[in-house]
Amino acid sequence: MEPIRKEEIDDQACGSLAPKSKPCPRPKPGEAAGGCSFDGAQITLLPIMDAAHLVHGPVACAGNSWESRGSLSSGPSLSQYGFATDLSNNDIIFGGEKKLKDSIDYIAGRFAPPAIFVYSTCVTALIGEDMDAVCKEASGRLGIPVVPVNSPGFVGSKNLGNRLAGDALLQYVIGTGEPELEASMGVNLIGEYNIAGEMWDIEKLMNQAGITLLSRITGDARYKEITWAHRAKANMVVCSRALLGLAKQMESKYGIPYFEGSFYGAKETTYSLRQMAFLLNDREMERRVDRLTEREENRLSHDLRPYRKILKGKKAVLYTGGVKSWSVISALKELGIQVVGVGTNKSSDEDVQRIADRVSDDTEYIPEGGASRIIKTVKERKADIMIAGGRNMYVAMKEQIPFVDINQERHKAYAGYEGLLRLAKELVDSMANPIWKLASSPAPWDKEGSYDR
Amino acid sequence: MTVKKRSKPVSVNPLKIGQSLGGILAMQGCYRAMPVVHGSQGCSAFPKALLTRHFREPIAVQTSALQEMDVIFDANRNLEEALNAVLSKHRPDIIGIIGTELTDVAGVDYQSMLKSYKRERNMRGGLAFSVTLPDFRGSLESGFSVTVEAMVDELIQQAGLRGQRNVNSRQITLLPGSYLTPGDVMELKEIVSSFGFEVIALPDISTSLSGHLLTGFSPLTRGGVPLDSMLQSLQSGLTIAFGASMERPARRLHNALGTPYKVFQGTMGLKASDELLNFLHQISGVPVPIRYCWQRENLLDCMLDAHFQFAGVSALAALEPDHLRSVSEWLDELGVEQKALITSYETPAVAEMEREVWVGDLDDAEVLGSGADLWIGSSHGIAGAERIGAAFLAAGFPIWNELGSYMNVSVGYRGAMEWTNKAGNLLMRREAEHRESSIRHR
Ligand code: SF4
Repeated sequence: MEPIRKEEIDDQACGSLAPKSKPCPRPKPGEAAGGCSFDGAQITLLPIMDAAHLVHGPVACAGNSWESRGSLSSGPSLSQYGFATDLSNNDIIFGGEKKLKDSIDYIAGRFAPPAIFVYSTCVTALIGEDMDAVCKEASGRLGIPVVPVNSPGFVGSKNLGNRLAGDALLQYVIGTGEPELEASMGVNLIGEYNIAGEMWDIEKLMNQAGITLLSRITGDARYKEITWAHRAKANMVVCSRALLGLAKQMESKYGIPYFEGSFYGAKETTYSLRQMAFLLNDREMERRVDRLTEREENRLSHDLRPYRKILKGKKAVLYTGGVKSWSVISALKELGIQVVGVGTNKSSDEDVQRIADRVSDDTEYIPEGGASRIIKTVKERKADIMIAGGRNMYVAMKEQIPFVDINQERHKAYAGYEGLLRLAKELVDSMANPIWKLASSPAPWDKEGSYDR
Repeated sequence: MTVKKRSKPVSVNPLKIGQSLGGILAMQGCYRAMPVVHGSQGCSAFPKALLTRHFREPIAVQTSALQEMDVIFDANRNLEEALNAVLSKHRPDIIGIIGTELTDVAGVDYQSMLKSYKRERNMRGGLAFSVTLPDFRGSLESGFSVTVEAMVDELIQQAGLRGQRNVNSRQITLLPGSYLTPGDVMELKEIVSSFGFEVIALPDISTSLSGHLLTGFSPLTRGGVPLDSMLQSLQSGLTIAFGASMERPARRLHNALGTPYKVFQGTMGLKASDELLNFLHQISGVPVPIRYCWQRENLLDCMLDAHFQFAGVSALAALEPDHLRSVSEWLDELGVEQKALITSYETPAVAEMEREVWVGDLDDAEVLGSGADLWIGSSHGIAGAERIGAAFLAAGFPIWNELGSYMNVSVGYRGAMEWTNKAGNLLMRREAEHRESSIRHR
């Protein structure tokens, strides 16, 4: 069998600019955490809301994963359907290509989606199904794009899956359509998945500044807007770790300049909007952005005052991946919170560099080790709160550590100026909750040994 | 009755949950245990995330983290590495290796690898066993029961008992099926012990996934049945299994040790509870505790009050096989029309039901159950229930739209009452909403 991960990709660093930096680390047996590449590919593509997403493999890959993301839709919901070829023992012995073809036909006939994404999984990759050929044939016959996503779980980490999904977009989607209106002044957002509706806050800001959002890649996207992404004048990469490669290739293929930015924190948000206007090279727009960001920042700093008072000097441990590992630090700093520990497990060398630029010297880096390591840091550094992903939420609860969820499953949007206010409120609310006192005081009948934390 | 299947090439909104998740769940009910999924990262990460979301508890699980080339060349090297890491770092009492479809298709022989590993390391004192749970067969239920069976086998081996046991006739081993919540298992333990028996549940998620506050984090399971109790359970005078899928592990105990067993296929409703309590009464000679006599009356009164609400009502249920059977019996007692019964895979227990059962997905549930007033199933059904305009009653796995569902009780009189009231309330609210909207739209 031919390896799916070709050498060039193998050599490439995880979303890093520097060609020499470390490749995605091999997960350690018995100590590994986190999803597979198939998971990563889905995270990237599922927010294309009107498309059908068909998982080719035994049912569990799809059965265990559908409806697990907090990526919101403003309309169509077909991407929330779980489609699986649900291969049985027999299919695996005799091959599942016929079933795949029939499944594609069935979905096209019944749901009439604008496109179908087909994901390979470990088993279908292992038995050497020719998914590309089936998709190509179906696409020609049905007259709709059927996009193969070759990212079976065992080729590597979630991050690699993000990138392989980006490759699929570049190879099969981007450049296959034209915008309806003359919209040459547009910007694409790459790697923003509309978790908890964050995209909507960002979109509002861009609209206010008069910047056209041409293609959303992929938060709350419609298939066709991605087909014309090559017509943008600039790309903003929101989650660099995942889709920087896509931006780079769009630069070399279509000459679209890109920048990496974030919407966590007022400063980062202002910088990102400015950068867009700059790349669009429009004086009037730059002035508009300046006026808007000044107004928003002023209003925000007024609204934040009561929260800042409470949050000043509080200590947090932040454990999240990629771009958030540094961009959230900026947001927390603006609130007066000191980050005393930060996870670097899923950060590229550049992310680590950016973290270093933003934290003080005695901040502890947590490169790996999972839950127990994070908790150790929280305790040793006497942190007031832990900010991490849902996976660690209940671990924190067991230790009675205030917790704010920052990853995909969360329900609150923290991007932009409004988002920072929401984050401040969330942090205050969770630290001020009466449960911490109640939980740490013993029952009246065993008062002797009080265990104050 | 035969089990039917709609013909459709693709699964749309799957009901089926991979077997391996069932295996991981079973391991959570043992103290200081670690399931090691022999597969790629995702095969442990997905179930971990899903179980965490359902139980709102940290879930213990590790992976052999296979990558492409490992699968093709030497998957067991990874497994060995994983075992080394887990053993040296966490010293678990129990390790269960869960083979996936990946190791199955690649033909990896980890069974004999484990054997030699145990020999070489001179591993004694703990339990280590392996199961094969590819996701293209069975579902959560079979994964759970196969794992318990392997666990029982390993216990018997470990204890080295050959006929000479000290049978403790006051001790009963409970084998609770995968569909029972921690709250259910707790209730069953309580009911059985109220007749004067010592009870050991195998596995026991009621002390691990029920929301305890043991401080100190451990990557191993917290709570659950400890190994010495598990070994002690071999002396039990009787095994009681809940759910037909648990009959096989019960039979193992019977074949190896001669322990008699009793299987309760249904666990919900008046009749099922009567049967259980009467059985316990007869084997113990102890009168049924007064609180259950009260509860029985409470239930009957509740059913009388509720029957207006259930008259002319129809329901669909999409659940794992044993659960489906149980729920169906409860619906029978309420006189609710069963528009569609859908399950994840065929088992003898559903095949012998007097009703039509479909093996299918949640899309089939929508089609076959169209017009139903009540949808009973996991949180994946919320959207479908909305589309067909049915009230939604969360049951089975996974549930993420409710707090504390893991403490819900469906067994015994109390459980039947809780469910009857809950379903009745949902229908009442739905009726009120309909009334309101029809007034508004006049
Ligand atoms: S690792 Fe492979 S088999 Fe496991 S969930 Fe991911 S794609 Fe599916």
